[in-house]
This record gives sequence, C-alpha cells and structure tokens, in this order.
Amino acid sequence: MMSTYYAGLLADVGILLLGALSVYIILATGQLSLGNAGFMGIGAYLTSYLTVTMGVPLTLALVIAAAASGAIGVIIGFPALRLRGIYLAMATLGFGEMVRSFFLNFDAMGGAGGFHGMRHVSLGYIWTWAAAILLLVAILEHSQIWLELRAVRDDETAAALVGLDTTTIKVGAFGFAAAVAAIAGGLFAHHHVYIEPGNFSFERSIDFVLAVILGGSTVGAGALVGALLLVMLPEHLRFLADWRFAVFGGLLIAMLLVRRQGILDRSLFRFFEFRRSA
Amino acid sequence: MKSGLSRALCVAGLGALLIATAGPGFAQQADREIVLGAIVPSSGPFAEWGRANTVTLQMIEKQINGGGGINGAKLRIAILDDATKPAQATNNLRKLAGDDKALAVAGPLTSSAAEVTFPVANEMKIVATSQASSKPGVAKLNRPWAFRNTIDEGVLGRTTVPYYKKSFNIKSVAIIFDAKDATAATVGSRIMPALMKENDIEVLNASDPLSFNTGDLDVSAQVTKMKALNPDGVVVSADYSQAVTVIREMKRQGMIKPVVGSTQLISSAILKAAPEIPIVAPATFYATMKGDKPEKFVNELQPLLRKTSGLPPEIEPSMYDANIYEIVSIYIDAIKATGVTGKPEDLETDRAKIRDYMAKLAGFPGLGGPIGFNDDGDAIKAFYILQGESGAWQSKVRGCSAAPGHPGC
Repeated sequence: MMSTYYAGLLADVGILLLGALSVYIILATGQLSLGNAGFMGIGAYLTSYLTVTMGVPLTLALVIAAAASGAIGVIIGFPALRLRGIYLAMATLGFGEMVRSFFLNFDAMGGAGGFHGMRHVSLGYIWTWAAAILLLVAILEHSQIWLELRAVRDDETAAALVGLDTTTIKVGAFGFAAAVAAIAGGLFAHHHVYIEPGNFSFERSIDFVLAVILGGSTVGAGALVGALLLVMLPEHLRFLADWRFAVFGGLLIAMLLVRRQGILDRSLFRFFEFRRSA
Repeated sequence: MKSGLSRALCVAGLGALLIATAGPGFAQQADREIVLGAIVPSSGPFAEWGRANTVTLQMIEKQINGGGGINGAKLRIAILDDATKPAQATNNLRKLAGDDKALAVAGPLTSSAAEVTFPVANEMKIVATSQASSKPGVAKLNRPWAFRNTIDEGVLGRTTVPYYKKSFNIKSVAIIFDAKDATAATVGSRIMPALMKENDIEVLNASDPLSFNTGDLDVSAQVTKMKALNPDGVVVSADYSQAVTVIREMKRQGMIKPVVGSTQLISSAILKAAPEIPIVAPATFYATMKGDKPEKFVNELQPLLRKTSGLPPEIEPSMYDANIYEIVSIYIDAIKATGVTGKPEDLETDRAKIRDYMAKLAGFPGLGGPIGFNDDGDAIKAFYILQGESGAWQSKVRGCSAAPGHPGC
C-alpha cells in the first residue's frame, strides 16, 4: 500500500502536470506565458466558491471554473496577438500578478487571510483529471488542430498565407490552456483545503514553464516527466540537507546543457519506434 | 556520434528520473527509539529561522540523549525542510506521520504552511504545534490536533498599541505591509487598522493601503508617500528581514518616526538597521531576557548558532528557537507523564495521549513563564512588549494571553 507521503507527492505531480500542460498548449503556438498561475488562481477560487458557498458538486464546479477561466484566457489571448517573445511573456506575467493582487484585496474570498472549507479530494480523483487531460492533449497532438498550431509556431505568416486562421488558433490555445490551468487550481484548492493569493504567484508560473522545458517542450508527455522530476527530485535530495536546492539547481542546469530540448522529444519517440519496427 | 551521445545522456536523464521516483533510503526507526518530527524552513525566505531551529532541535536531542533518553529510549528528532512552501510542509507532515511514525510534530513555522498542514495533522491524527504561526484562528480551525506555541497577533496587539500610543503620544499612523506574506498582510490590512480605531488613532492611509512584496529591495516610493502624510508613527507589518528594508529607507529619507509591528519584527538585526528609530513589538521571548531558564538556554544555544555555517556570526536565539525548544520539551514531558511506549503497535494510542496532555496542559515551565493551551489550541503564556532602543530590546510591559480570570501565566 502506498504511503500517504508518496500519495501527497503524487497529488502534487498531478497538479503540476496540469499546470505544465497549460504552458505546453500555449507554447505549441510559439507563445510563452508566464502568467498561468493567474488562471490557476481563478480556477482555485472559483471552484472553491462554488463548492463551499454554493454547494455545487466538485466535478461540475471544475467544469464551470474551466469554462470561465477559458473565457478569460480568450480575452487575454486577443491582446497577446499583438505581442511576441519576451514582450508577451512580460504581459502574461503582469496578468498573473494582477490576478494575485485582485484576490489579495478581494475580501469576499478571504483576501490576504485566504479561503478554506473545501473538502479534501483523493489522489485517484486528481489523477483521473490529470490522465484524462494528458490523454486529450496526446490525441490532439495527432490531429489536424495540432498541425495547425505547429504551423503557426513555425511560421505564422506562411500559416496565414495557406489559409489558416492564426487569430483563432492562438486565442483558442490561450483559452484551452487557461481552462486546463483552472482545473489544476481547483484540484490544488481541494487537495490542500486552503488557498491564499500567495499560492498563485510568479514562482508557480515558473514551475509550470520549468516542468515543460525540463521534460520536453515538443511532446505532451514531457510535461509529465518534468512534473515528476520537479516534485520528486528535491525530496530525494534531502540527505544533502541545506545543499539540496543548490544541487537540484545544478542538476537542472546539467540536464538542460546536455538535453536543450528537454528529456523527451519527438526524435526520441521516433528512435524507439524505429527500434521496435526493426 | 553526437546523436548517440545525446541518446545516452537522455537515457541517463530518464535513469535519474527513475532514481528520483524510487523509494528513498530514509533511516528506519530503531528499537527503543522515540521519534519526534519537526518541520522547519531551512531554505527559502525564512531560512535563517529554520536553520536556527534545526540547531536548537539538535541541541535538545543531544541534551536528552546525554541524560539517558526518555524512559530509557533514545530520542530521535526527524527534521525536514519545507523550504517555506506550504505544499512541501504537508508532504513533510505526511512523511513524518506515515513513514517515520513520529509521535508528534513541531512545526511548521509559517501561518501559510500551518493553514495547509494542520488539516493533514487532523486527517492523520497526529499533534502538530507551530513555533511561529500567529495569524488569527489558524489552530482554531483545525482542532483537536493542531496547536500553536504562539499567541494570536490580535491578542498581542491589544496590549502593544495602547503602550505605543501612550509612550510616543501617537494620534495618527501610516500603515505599510508585505502583501505577499499572509500573516503580515492580515495584520497590516485587518488587525492593525481595527486596533488603531479602538485606540482612537487615525490611520492616514486607510483608504490608500501601502504595500510591497516579499523580496522587494526598493520601497522608496511607498516611504515617500508615508512621509508626505506626516504621521506620528508608522505601522510596519512584515517579517524582520523585509521590515529592515522599510526602516532603512525611512532612515535614508529622514523619516525618524516610532515604528510598531507584530512579533514578526523581533530580531536583533532590525535594531542595527536604524538604531535611532524606536521600534515597539510584542514577543514571548527575547535573547536578553533575565532569569535562570532563559539565560541558561541562551548561553547554551548561542555559541552553537554562531558556529553554524550559513547563520550570521552575531546571531542570537530568537523567540522561535525558544518556542520550538518549548514544544519539544512539552512533548517529552507528555511522553514521560502519560506512559507513551513508542512501540509501533501503540502509535495511535500514544499520539492520542500526547494530544490529551497538550489540551489539558497548564503551568508547564516554559522559558518565559508558565505555558498552557486554550480551547483554540493557542498558547496561554506571558508576553512582553519590547522596545528597541540603541540596538537592544528592552521589556516595557508584561502581559498574559489568558482570558481574564484564567489561572494561566
């Protein structure tokens, strides 16, 4: 039987996986978002409000929060059309901080004091959502939609010239990613049964991006590998005491130096497929 | 060749992942061993407090084992770093309770961590006592397994603010707080404004709250705004390492006004930042406290702290070191007094015995006076209103967190 300690770690992996997938989806169009913790915060607060105050069942609350966050993501996505690269990253970072500051001053949801009263969810419930969304992303990766996303990432002008609606693709990616991040937030709130604005700060967004970069930014499964490493590795370096985060940082740098594209990438999948067919 | 190397390194990376996800080789509980757990932030924003807590815990472990252990059993304190991250604190508690079979846990330190860890303590039926959380109501929400060897900031403020008003003839204040720190934000945005109103002190920026974020190095704009308001005093609600930034800036701009704050301000470092600015804050312990117990504690711990790498060479034992020392001392007393066996088959009963002992505790000889716990799980103990003068804390008022008529303190 799995210890509660490992169950807690795996719950964190599942939640981080969803956050990382939200970054991965936007990254597939060639855009980098540093504000997905903001969408996560919206999901966490809205889901908690619905379950605690309105008595809505959790699954329905997650769906509503995902839809609401997705709509906000679409709205955020439009200004993002005018920005690229580091400028877009900065704009999304500003959005994340804006959401955090909003909840800090939003007394109806506890403000700085935070919000509680949620019921704890099981590891199985978290992973049902995480696995379902990972599977959905994996299916999408083999679809026409993903080819269009990649076309926009590779050359937006060329994609538009061949008739692709690049606006819809980019804004849609933002909306979908915001919905996934909101589900991560809702699950986070019901795993930890307490939320405060500080839970959805810039550092959380960086964790999402790091999981994608580390695990592999060209395949959805990379987010899973990155989430596992980011949660599990620091725990298993505890024997290093005060040096564990220094060593952890060093290992991340070393890993990225030898695998710039992340641990998993498409060529690796092709390599294993080739070996199997041979 | 290059792709071959790349593949090999990738396989190595996956190998590292497998190692990372495999079972850790944590030490197993030995026979005749009493295991207590501790959650401290040895890394992250409060690393100084966490590392000092670690030295304190190692000291008490050595003292107990040097004196023959607990009922003949060796004491082991499993200390885990939560990096000041609430999620890590909950995982630490799960590990200590589930894997290490600890009888009780000291920590976590911050209110944010306590908010998420205490529900897990209830779920796993293990006593967890925070050494620093003072945000109102955190233990109360998580009865019966959550305790805090601290006093609610709202209770402390009821003595602190009248003293501050009287001593410096304060009629108006400006408030600035760290918006990223849950305790600081709660004290700065709710508790202090309410206390100022109770004491007929006008908050000049009541409609325009001034805040900054943990880690901000430049608060000159906020201090300029405060200076323009020309208050009689300033409320700084932030932990000492962040408050130092504000107080230094006040000094730089020539804003020499008396400062008041919560327990988070208590440190020797803050007094050195601007000795000419008077600072008033409450504490349950301070390093220059008089008396056999506190002086012995400081004399034993201070040299250990000062020779620990990563801690400032001039460091003094803090209130949080005293609190965690008292928490472990109470646990040890509970184990001795209630016949806790420490045997795996008695784990559930042993934990319940410690909980019941804690709930009924009264008059435990703490470092700053007798300790008990109220129905909310918060400590009933003496506290002191300290004033920083010329680089040292001086006790001005002695108070007690017990309700009027309660025999505590």
